[in-house]
Amino acid sequence: MCSISSLQAGCSEVNRKIRSYLIRLAVTLLISLVAMIALSEGTYLLMREEYDRGPQVFQIVIPAGAAEKVAQGEEIPTIPEDQIFVTGDTLEVINQDRVDHQLGPIWVPAGAKGSLVLEDAEKFSYSCSFSPSNYLGFDVRQATTWQTRLTGLGISVPTTTAFLFIYSLVAFPVEGRKNQGSQEPTT
Amino acid sequence: MKSKLPLFGFGLLVGVIVFWAGWKFLDRPYTFRGSVIDPPMPMADFLLVDQHGQPFSLSGQQGKVVLLFFGYTHCPDVCPVTLAEFTRIKEELGAAASQVSFVYITVDPERDTVPVMNAYMRSFDPDFFALTETREKLEEVWSRFGVYQSRQESTSAGGYLVDHTARTYLLDQQGRLVATYPYEMGEADVVADVQHILSAGGVQ
Repeated sequence: MCSISSLQAGCSEVNRKIRSYLIRLAVTLLISLVAMIALSEGTYLLMREEYDRGPQVFQIVIPAGAAEKVAQGEEIPTIPEDQIFVTGDTLEVINQDRVDHQLGPIWVPAGAKGSLVLEDAEKFSYSCSFSPSNYLGFDVRQATTWQTRLTGLGISVPTTTAFLFIYSLVAFPVEGRKNQGSQEPTT
Repeated sequence: MKSKLPLFGFGLLVGVIVFWAGWKFLDRPYTFRGSVIDPPMPMADFLLVDQHGQPFSLSGQQGKVVLLFFGYTHCPDVCPVTLAEFTRIKEELGAAASQVSFVYITVDPERDTVPVMNAYMRSFDPDFFALTETREKLEEVWSRFGVYQSRQESTSAGGYLVDHTARTYLLDQQGRLVATYPYEMGEADVVADVQHILSAGGVQ
């Protein structure tokens, strides 16, 4: 038969074990978090690209008389050829000319401003009414931002924690307390 | 109790961070999917004739969002595809579609007479507006919307073709041009923009 005192002792042993597991879990979570942040940020710093930035607004101003200049084969300053955009960037076209202009999907009536958010990472060529070649190329890439890195941590930390936790249980099992006074046999 | 304080503090901190992140996420300004005209550009009124022979003016659509497209009934590809997209947009909008006018203006007035437009629009949605008029009157409208159109001779049985601008225009409840979409614009994007304008009561 079990006495009340032995039940209480068993209960306290279970509680103690649960606490030990929780502490073990917390420690492995902390280790995983620190390790993954170090790995993620270290890799980011080493591999960082110039275009790893947040979205920005890029303005193209079409000056008055641009249509005539383009018809004569003159260049209108637009955006540098090596400019790399990132998804989320906004392309603004300010048309100061007396005629409508078009840059790909952006149609800008005379005297107005048109804008487009670049949503897809790809290289493409837009038809362009204010370029003598009639085309303007764009290189849009996916930037590594703090949101991307945070998403990476959200995936890597729980999995690493689970792995470390199971590994630690195999390598260093949580043991019950030895030599507890209440469990000693009495005569 | 004392040992639970750090846990309570940690939970509170996480709660505050989650609330702040959610607030920032929901508080973001709406980003239009189409190419935006900023600020929205008031468009001059026009008066044309619809497929029932009734007068149609842009000013008569005040209070409604307008989706506008230029095409012609003998068009083999772009126009039927765009009108099919219009029907899907209308379906996706559901009850809100009653606050949207779907308008199709011809770039081929010689062949697109009122009866022809009437028969053509019945293939898509008789509630859409199909507008025509004399070339002279239409040229004014084409010019305002920057519409290019050029007759191309063809040996096909359907007769000549018309090269034309394939963009779709979105006007708000005040008759202002808000955004444009290229050919094969993606219904979901247009629906999202229209729903935004309807919920906001126009573009600020």
